[in-house]
Amino acid sequence: MIEIEHLSKRYAETIVVDDVSLRMDEGTITVVVGTSGAGKSTLLRMINRLVEPSEGRVLIDGQDTMAIPEDQLRHRIGYVIQGYGLFPHRNVAENIATVPRLLGWDKRQIAARVDELLDLFQLDPAEFANKFPHELSGGQQQRVGVARALAAKPAVLLMDEPFGALDPVIRSKAQDDLVAIQRRLGTTVVLVTHDMNEAFQLGDRIAVMDQARLLQYATPAELLTRPAEAFVEQLVGTAERPFRLLSLLKVREAIEPGPAEGEPVSVTDTLRDALSRLIWTGREALPVADASGALVGRVSVKGIVAHGRSAP
Amino acid sequence: MSAPSLLWRGAALVLLLLFITAPQLFAFAFEPLTVNGAPAIYNQGSLLSLTLSHLRIVFLATLASTILALGLGIFVTRPSGREFLPLSRSLVNIGQTFPPVAVLAIAVPLVGFGEKPTFIALFLYGLLPIFENTLTGLMEVSPQTLDAAKGMGMNPRQRLFQVELPLALPVILAGIRLSVIISLGTATIGSTVAAKGLGEVIIAGLQSNNVAFVLQGGLVVALLAVLIHDGLGMAERRVSAKLGRAADEVS
Ligand SMILES: Nc1ncnc2c1ncn2[C@@H]1O[C@H](COP(=O)(O)OP(=O)(O)O)[C@@H](O)[C@H]1O
Ligand SMILES: [Mg+2]
Repeated sequence: MIEIEHLSKRYAETIVVDDVSLRMDEGTITVVVGTSGAGKSTLLRMINRLVEPSEGRVLIDGQDTMAIPEDQLRHRIGYVIQGYGLFPHRNVAENIATVPRLLGWDKRQIAARVDELLDLFQLDPAEFANKFPHELSGGQQQRVGVARALAAKPAVLLMDEPFGALDPVIRSKAQDDLVAIQRRLGTTVVLVTHDMNEAFQLGDRIAVMDQARLLQYATPAELLTRPAEAFVEQLVGTAERPFRLLSLLKVREAIEPGPAEGEPVSVTDTLRDALSRLIWTGREALPVADASGALVGRVSVKGIVAHGRSAP
Repeated sequence: MSAPSLLWRGAALVLLLLFITAPQLFAFAFEPLTVNGAPAIYNQGSLLSLTLSHLRIVFLATLASTILALGLGIFVTRPSGREFLPLSRSLVNIGQTFPPVAVLAIAVPLVGFGEKPTFIALFLYGLLPIFENTLTGLMEVSPQTLDAAKGMGMNPRQRLFQVELPLALPVILAGIRLSVIISLGTATIGSTVAAKGLGEVIIAGLQSNNVAFVLQGGLVVALLAVLIHDGLGMAERRVSAKLGRAADEVS
């Protein structure tokens, strides 16, 4: 768990982060979103003390980060930046081994961990371990960057625009992979982005920042239905709201009793996907199947649309 | 390096070794340049020992320049030394604008004749290329790479030795190479203040009006320069290929 208490950063006269308080629960993804210059990176970098706070404090699992020597603190916190900052003179295996080596793990333990991570990120050790960063594609570099950050099994992972340099198709896959890996490892992730779609796709909770201030900290659904300020509403995109809301909900939540014709949708599909299928097939309703394939009811256009409204 | 150019380098090396160990073999080539039955091949000392002395002083001076220039370059790129950057730059530049002969003229009364004044001149001349390249190499390291290194908990020392210096190495090596080449040529003037070296052959030729001697001294120095330049260049290319940079980006 990360607790940020009244954190501020001032450079001479300008305030870059203004009295921000946040609590990030263990094993969740928190996305900090806002326009460029809002102070997102500065906030993130105060968590691992790359930036020293002017006021306030950060607690990790109840311990004040100022009480931990900064290098030790950073060994315990994964860090991924836009462009990844891979070491050009070290191959993939050596890049991933960086923190374990700093921590003095023994050679066999490091080699095993590197192989494990390469597998986790779908990079064949035989092919990739000895490649140098300049021999990798953007997507591969990104995976190595995250693998390197996770090498010493940190409980916390900080990511500053980690997908910013990827093209859209690869980005979407990398986002899905991140969520899958995060769920599996139970890592607490704090991710900075200026992309609202990314925030909605990844965030268990979203912190909206503007001009050094935290405007709202809430779940994606709350952000849509109860935006705290006009700016948040505008950032969320008024026209997009119903669709964003539907993509946050699963078919499970809109099941009605009764039969329907056609190819069934799954209980775990999003309402947005189900609606899209309904529109495309021209039907009023489709059957719903559970994970085992058994039919459990139906989902209708009317029922879905009711979930896309602002107030229930 | 392509096969034919490797062949040329090999031939140059064999020629050089043969010439400094058994110069008489080449007397036929230099005889046409002599007049009044003057000797065709330098006969006032062994070419081999002169070459070794020449290389020795160049090596020692470059080693000393490298230690100081590298140390200074590292110091002024640290937060604690950054304020000395402009000062150290101008000092090193002044070292370079002073003509070598003037350095010798000043050094001799202070330290006497022989190798010492030559060493001082070569040392001062070697500083600038190594210092400038160390600065360039260290300042070219991408801020992202450094941010990542810091973010992963490397302390300043680990960042310097594990990240900054390895990444700056090709550029630093290019500076050392330049410095060695300058020193190889400059070391010939050391013979005017009685340092042992290939300059003796050239000076003896000038004094006795013997073009063959002048040419022999010049030839050995030139061959040394070409071979050392190539050898160090090869090492640089090896290092930078690993970094995924084109070698021409370095030099
Ligand atoms: N070291 C610094 N010195 C002065 N101003 C800075 C420094 N770092 C960041 N800033 C300023 O703080 C503001 C917020 O920066 P940043 O946290 O990087 O924003 P974001 O990541 O949201 O784009 C920007 O206006 C930036 O210019
Ligand atoms: Mg930023």
